[in-house]
Amino acid sequence: MLDPEQMPKLLGEFLAKRQPTWRNIKVSSYEVMTGGYSRLLAKAVVAHDDGSAVLVLRGDPPSDKSLIFTDRETEWDLVRVLNEQGIRTPKAHYFDATGEHLGTKALVIDFSHSHSFLPYVAVGGSLDGLQVRLAEALASYHAIPVDSLPAQLERPVSSEVYLTSRIDEWRRTADAHVEDLPILRYMAGWLDAHRPSPVPLTLMHGDFQSANLMITDDGHFEILDWELASIGDPREDMGYFKAVAQIAPPDLLDDAGCEVMCARYRELTGLNEIQVNPAVVAYFLILGVIGTVRRLLEGGAEYANGTNRLMASVFNMNSVQFGHSMWLPTADALGPVLDQLAAAAASAQENV
Amino acid sequence: MLTRPTTDQVLVGIADELRDAIAPEVHNETLQVLLGQIDQILRGLAVRSAHEVAWMHEEADTIAAVTGTDVGWPESLHLDDVCRWYDSVSRALSAALDAAFAAGDAIRIAELKLLLDARSATEMKIVGALVLVGRG
Repeated sequence: MLDPEQMPKLLGEFLAKRQPTWRNIKVSSYEVMTGGYSRLLAKAVVAHDDGSAVLVLRGDPPSDKSLIFTDRETEWDLVRVLNEQGIRTPKAHYFDATGEHLGTKALVIDFSHSHSFLPYVAVGGSLDGLQVRLAEALASYHAIPVDSLPAQLERPVSSEVYLTSRIDEWRRTADAHVEDLPILRYMAGWLDAHRPSPVPLTLMHGDFQSANLMITDDGHFEILDWELASIGDPREDMGYFKAVAQIAPPDLLDDAGCEVMCARYRELTGLNEIQVNPAVVAYFLILGVIGTVRRLLEGGAEYANGTNRLMASVFNMNSVQFGHSMWLPTADALGPVLDQLAAAAASAQENV
Repeated sequence: MLTRPTTDQVLVGIADELRDAIAPEVHNETLQVLLGQIDQILRGLAVRSAHEVAWMHEEADTIAAVTGTDVGWPESLHLDDVCRWYDSVSRALSAALDAAFAAGDAIRIAELKLLLDARSATEMKIVGALVLVGRG
């Protein structure tokens, strides 16, 4: 994948080994795709005597061009589970675990013929009912039993321990950066002081945003790009979605939309109104971005230290600062509401 | 040394040339994304070059007043020295925040929070309108 000119030949040879029944394999086109910031992406059209296929290759960039480090094998194992569980995501077919065939570790998955969500919106696609569809997409993979997930995904001991660890990630991120970050330290203190009621841990997508969603012809969401998946608090995906949607509209989870999404999600999962509501989504809007923020800051620190030369690492510092401008007022508005919810939860606990 | 056109003027000029003269001739999608990012970076650098040393000093004065810390002075006005000093000022603010949260002192937290709001407002003068080029 590092040398696109070679790829039609290499991919053809790779597929011949993995699909011995395919005769006269011909890779008629191989196009490098943009859209992912972290992985090499390409679309290939493959024909053989019995048919044809349109495939996507997702591979690791060279280490000095890598914005973030994630494990392709874990992604492969996870997507296979998602396929088995019937989650709407492109089917994974092949994996070059060593890079010996495709030039780098890479997954070969189906090309999705659904519509990319953001371009769909840009040309005036209807948003009607999509909050319900969003809840259904979230609940679909949040419902996968944790025991079914790949063993490589770390299992936190409890939701409380998990939340503590996530909050501490803000402090660790601040401590690790090349300069002091008081806004991150403030947010850690604020998150600690406003913990929501716990829920069971589930699979989390980790980068659940509009850019990773496709919309099918019958109006359902298909989910792409699972490289940042982990086991954690499912509400983080909701908060993260809202965080990114505020930068890159549409924000399906505006005030009214978030109520609709939460109601449908509660129906599907059995969680209650104290656990899943717009204020808690907003809490996780802040908490849930730390994984990405940490990676972005690491890239900026590497650039500052001269260990990477990626312009994207510099550009991403704008996203971090934009995040500052969102988190601080959100914390102001949210604190009193979360305090009320905590009181309601405490009262409910007393009544039990 | 010649100081005019100023650094910020030149940086904006480069960004304009890249956007108006170079970008339309670039048809490779990856390079278009890169140019879009460079455009925003250059415009942010123009703002920083014009103001950042002054802004760091002004913010430090306020932090010193609110936290009651003697934040001192940078060793020189060379940018690296000013950044190193500004980092030490930020550490004083972080320490004050940690202490306020540990004590559960809501009034103190609110006072310190205003400093962060001001910092964020400055950052957004640099960032301007963020466009996530290349996503989706």
